[in-house]
Amino acid sequence: MATGKSILNESRDIERAVALIQLGARLQVLEYETSLSYERLLRLYKEVAGKSPSKGQLPFSTDWFLTWQPNIHASLFLNIHEYLSKASALEDIDTVIKAFRLYSEQMTASAIEPLLSITRAWRLIKFVDSGMLTLTKCSCCGGRFVTEPYENARHFVCGLCQPPARAGKGSAAGSLRLH
Amino acid sequence: MDSEQLLAEIREANLTYLMLAQNLIRKDRAEALFRLGMTEEAADLLAMLSTAQLLKIASSNMLLCRFRVDDDLVWNLLTSHNVKKVDNSTTTQLHASILMAGKYAESMATTAH
Repeated sequence: MATGKSILNESRDIERAVALIQLGARLQVLEYETSLSYERLLRLYKEVAGKSPSKGQLPFSTDWFLTWQPNIHASLFLNIHEYLSKASALEDIDTVIKAFRLYSEQMTASAIEPLLSITRAWRLIKFVDSGMLTLTKCSCCGGRFVTEPYENARHFVCGLCQPPARAGKGSAAGSLRLH
Repeated sequence: MDSEQLLAEIREANLTYLMLAQNLIRKDRAEALFRLGMTEEAADLLAMLSTAQLLKIASSNMLLCRFRVDDDLVWNLLTSHNVKKVDNSTTTQLHASILMAGKYAESMATTAH
């Protein structure tokens, strides 16, 4: 992203990388969003997080975002993200960081387990940018929810207006309930 | 409550709101726009006000902060009135948050053009 070697750009990259590590981002996110070398990022990660980063590939497909509970979390995050990117001109990654902070805040305020991690949130934005996922307006409540791009907007009803049969039955603490 | 006391309370609420808004805008402008539901222009104006100006603006018989929920559906969700399928307050609140975040993004898009 940064053009040439600039100390200012580098310091901004480090700042961003630290913010992302503190939010729990995987190393792949840092590699993609900053121009710092793998070795430096690894060192920074150990310094900030106090442990080695998790290894392996980012495991997610778009399916995760379409299951009931994750979909609600993802939709809230994406709505906040859209709001921020429309309201102010920020760098893409800064918008993701800020939107994620606002999302986490809301989860803490309502005592819900934040299902969306920063890495997943970042992935979601990439899926939306590449047209693999989009927001579709619910024909019942008018809210915009994460869906596949070819969802029929005239008949689409969101998971909160019409929860699927098994929704809200999970026993995990901090999960969403219907009643 | 007599009217003098009422006016004092309105002034206090105005002042608290204006100062909070200023703090939010100065701390992080982008976040503040989301939290306050305010346009960029309004936020810039507010951020530039001096304390004397704030005091003057706050002394009014009108409240300066406006009710943000202008939609019956969102209001019903927040208060859990008339909600059929889901009646868990945390879940309905989350639903309301999605609607509110989306609405403001929408209104911003229409004023931009």
